[in-house]
Amino acid sequence: MTDPDRAQILADLARFVREVVGASWADAVEIDLDTSFSDDLELESIEFVALAEKVQAHYGEGVDFVTWLSDLDLDAIIALRVGDVVEFIERCR
Amino acid sequence: MPLIDAGDLRLNTLQMGEGTPVVLIHGVLLGSLAQWYFTVAPVLARTHRVILYDLRGHGRSEVPAAGYDLRTLGDDLDALLSALDVTEPVDLVGHSYGALIALHHALRHPGGVRRLALIDAPLPPAAAGIFDDALSRSAEALVANLPESLRAPMAGGRRAARLIGRLATLTGETTLLEDVAREPDLDDADLAGIDVPVLCLYGETSRCRPAGERLARVLSDATLRTVPGGHFVPVEAPAPMTAAVSEFLDG
Repeated sequence: MTDPDRAQILADLARFVREVVGASWADAVEIDLDTSFSDDLELESIEFVALAEKVQAHYGEGVDFVTWLSDLDLDAIIALRVGDVVEFIERCR
Repeated sequence: MPLIDAGDLRLNTLQMGEGTPVVLIHGVLLGSLAQWYFTVAPVLARTHRVILYDLRGHGRSEVPAAGYDLRTLGDDLDALLSALDVTEPVDLVGHSYGALIALHHALRHPGGVRRLALIDAPLPPAAAGIFDDALSRSAEALVANLPESLRAPMAGGRRAARLIGRLATLTGETTLLEDVAREPDLDDADLAGIDVPVLCLYGETSRCRPAGERLARVLSDATLRTVPGGHFVPVEAPAPMTAAVSEFLDG
């Protein structure tokens, strides 16, 4: 896995976050691999659903994001960082 | 996420999986389809067409000023099923007020329901006490009085502010609380006419437990089970809930 791939996934995720929560909030937070969906972005659960749907639609069935999430308990989902999702997408490829 | 035109209302709706249809119905005030999305929905989606939606006024659905009584919420469900071309009998899973919507649907459409999973359904709808907080407090106080498991994920400012804003809209600018308070009790003789298998799943420390005991007694084919925690089962006991519901629907 080369760095350009990782940079592209990160850019995709950052775009999805902006689409879900609105640019005005997301622009106030620098989105990198260490950004927490909960602590930094403060995504609501319903927003995280919208984000997950965008990830699923963009990467297709080869990236079974929703099933992966369902294997995590709620605390683990809340603690997820952008880098965790990037790594998951990389592993699926 | 797609907004589906259900009658004259746009409802936020999600579908996953294929198979016999199961509709998951959240409760009022604090609920949204997210409570299922991260718990039982992906498990059921292995063998079912799972339909999730946000009730009117909730999640990402439209927020009309009125129509939070069981009849109108039932009309919304009918319109949604029609918009999605669901014509065969459905399994229904509901939590709290959503479980009453499921019961109401079964009473209205005999033959239209295969099985019911009722999670912490309050009966009579207005007398369970779980809405007292909302009736007597500000949205801020309501949030401050939530169980720790619901409050912890909202520790930051943005989420709490958004939840308080939504609750303030629902309690201050819609008829939701009046509609719930006016909702009459269901009739035991009517309930006895529901002949499909029913799972009554209740939190061990929930104030709604007597309603579960009543439903288990009155319904002709009901099983009562409990899971740890209180009324907010999808948040307080997601794993036991998922196991019980999937076992009931797939077992």
